[in-house]
Amino acid sequence: MEAMGEVEQRIDGRVRERLLERYRAIDGPTCRRLTEAGLAWLRTNQQVVNSLNVFPVPDGDTGTNMVLTMQAAWDEIASHSEAAIGRLAKSIAQGALMGARGNSGVILSQLWRGFARALDDATLMDVPLFVRGLAEARDTAYKGVVRPVEGTILTVAKDVASAAEQAQKEGASSALQILERIVQAAHESVQRTPDLLPVLKQAGVVDSGGMGLYLLLEGMLRSAYRQPLDTPTVAVRSLGELTLEQASESVEPGQDWEVVVDFRPDATLDVQGFYRRLEAMGTSIQVGEGDGLYRMHIHVPDRKEYDPIDYVRSLGTVTRVAIENLMAQSAAQLSTEKDRLRLTAVQPGQIGAIAVSPGFGISRVFASLGIAAIVDGGQTMNPSTQEILRAFEELPTDKIIILPNNKNIELAARQAAEHSVKSVAVIPSHSVPQGIAAMLCFEVGGDFDEIVGRMTGALKNVRQGEITIATRSVEIDGVPVREGQVIGLLHGKLATAGDSLQETLLETLRAGRAQEAELITLFYGADLSAQQANQLADLVRQRWPEQEVEVVEGGQPHYPLILSIE
Amino acid sequence: MTAEDISYGRITVAPRAIATLVVHAILQSYGVVGLAPKNLVDGITHVLVHDPRHGVEVKAVGDQIVIDVFIMVEYGTRISSVATSVANTVRYHVERALGMPVGAVNVHVQDLHVSDVD
Repeated sequence: MEAMGEVEQRIDGRVRERLLERYRAIDGPTCRRLTEAGLAWLRTNQQVVNSLNVFPVPDGDTGTNMVLTMQAAWDEIASHSEAAIGRLAKSIAQGALMGARGNSGVILSQLWRGFARALDDATLMDVPLFVRGLAEARDTAYKGVVRPVEGTILTVAKDVASAAEQAQKEGASSALQILERIVQAAHESVQRTPDLLPVLKQAGVVDSGGMGLYLLLEGMLRSAYRQPLDTPTVAVRSLGELTLEQASESVEPGQDWEVVVDFRPDATLDVQGFYRRLEAMGTSIQVGEGDGLYRMHIHVPDRKEYDPIDYVRSLGTVTRVAIENLMAQSAAQLSTEKDRLRLTAVQPGQIGAIAVSPGFGISRVFASLGIAAIVDGGQTMNPSTQEILRAFEELPTDKIIILPNNKNIELAARQAAEHSVKSVAVIPSHSVPQGIAAMLCFEVGGDFDEIVGRMTGALKNVRQGEITIATRSVEIDGVPVREGQVIGLLHGKLATAGDSLQETLLETLRAGRAQEAELITLFYGADLSAQQANQLADLVRQRWPEQEVEVVEGGQPHYPLILSIE
Repeated sequence: MTAEDISYGRITVAPRAIATLVVHAILQSYGVVGLAPKNLVDGITHVLVHDPRHGVEVKAVGDQIVIDVFIMVEYGTRISSVATSVANTVRYHVERALGMPVGAVNVHVQDLHVSDVD
């Protein structure tokens, strides 16, 4: 994350001179283009922003919310040919207001609102007006809260406004100079957020909303510099995180071979240059680092599979090489997609059960238990109230039961239930195992209230656990966790952290009182193969020979294993 | 989670204590500029006794907590998003502090506060 966000000031001096003149004052069409670029850059880096989200509620949706808010703003001006920047800014503010999603989205819309008010009906935005707009944006945003929390997007907006004022005092004469200064200031401000907000420091992250605002501004600057907006900022990840992503990527034509090379560079690796060379060879480039050892991952066309290896060999000592034929892999994938879901067809008057499912395998399990509809969603991919509501409305019955299967989705399900004209019962299942336990009590033709009661009652009969990889170093519930470690959660609380999947799995099951259970089920995620899952199951069987152990393909992302202990 | 076996005694948390938590969470929520009395009587009481928890109602329904909050929202923000954020934030803070599930958070927007008219 450190490498991320360094604003590339490396731009040819003469080119910059021309640009300073070109961007001396900004008109409507230019502002429109910059806004589009800001949105594009924010979208490209959306997942980075989501992964930082720990405040005020750690639900991993800040990036998504900011993108959706900016998208609504963009939709408002997409077909605009407004020449005056003032009226254009008003439309942007209007769109952002109508589409504001989440906390950060509301703040973003307030920033636009203040900015637009300062611009009023101006035709061009020169330096003084730009500076006034940013000051007004800050003031408007701060009026929206009683106790502003510093170390958030508000702080970044404040630092941006001050930097603009400072640049004007120092004699800036082009709006581009202001943009350059505020991008730099936003970057520095984002890096300081952990010092202001302890919850960020504890989690080892910078503020997500502030990062979103920075990316929005940086996208504008990149567009002015004519830099690309479609490849995420170069970020060297930890090795643990890297392996997690590899398995869940999709394969496109022309990406025939996957090449992974581990190496130890002879000298300090110039990451920017390294990326540039790799970009010329192939796609899906990822670079991970741990203790001076680098892992490079790339997809290359047929007959080019040895090029990246030769290149890496010129940089240092290669320790491991793995080459895989992706076309063969994707053929196997296609065949599994073929077993379509067999959902239960409900008749009017019967009860329709809906489950929120994070993966294909889990959907299949739910389908086999009598589910009538599936809504895709899970950790970090919460479905919206509208999506859930649509599922309610599409079933041809007015008695509906929904299993959210995630704590964060329960609220959306409840809201959808309130909005629906049908009678909807939300079974508060907070995990997939709980949802499955509840479905075992389901009858499509039974008495509605009785079934709801039985299903809710079944929730407490199951203990559930999850195994995942820590995406950053953090201390939770007094247990220190290092980035890349395998962690085990019981009922959503951290139970243990270890260095291997095996160790963490056994320790989590022990903490979940596996010896008292009858049945242990392992739902393995998209990152594990059936063979790996079976090996883990054998390990569990050796430790707890009295218990029955079942292995089910879950297909969920992020969590290699979901456990059910009954 | 409420039925955790505590064999050595009982723990009770008064609604007032929860209300204090809620007030803290609300006042940090973006878009909320204040709490509002929920009716005339409450408004008059507030003039007489200045309690910051007016505008928050905490009830136990069965073994679940139901929270009603009465708020004033900044004019010009998207009210539905602000209200959703308030509900999420309140639920998160209360559940984290108590380790007990919150049954419902009902957000009542009583008034708008106008700082600037565009």
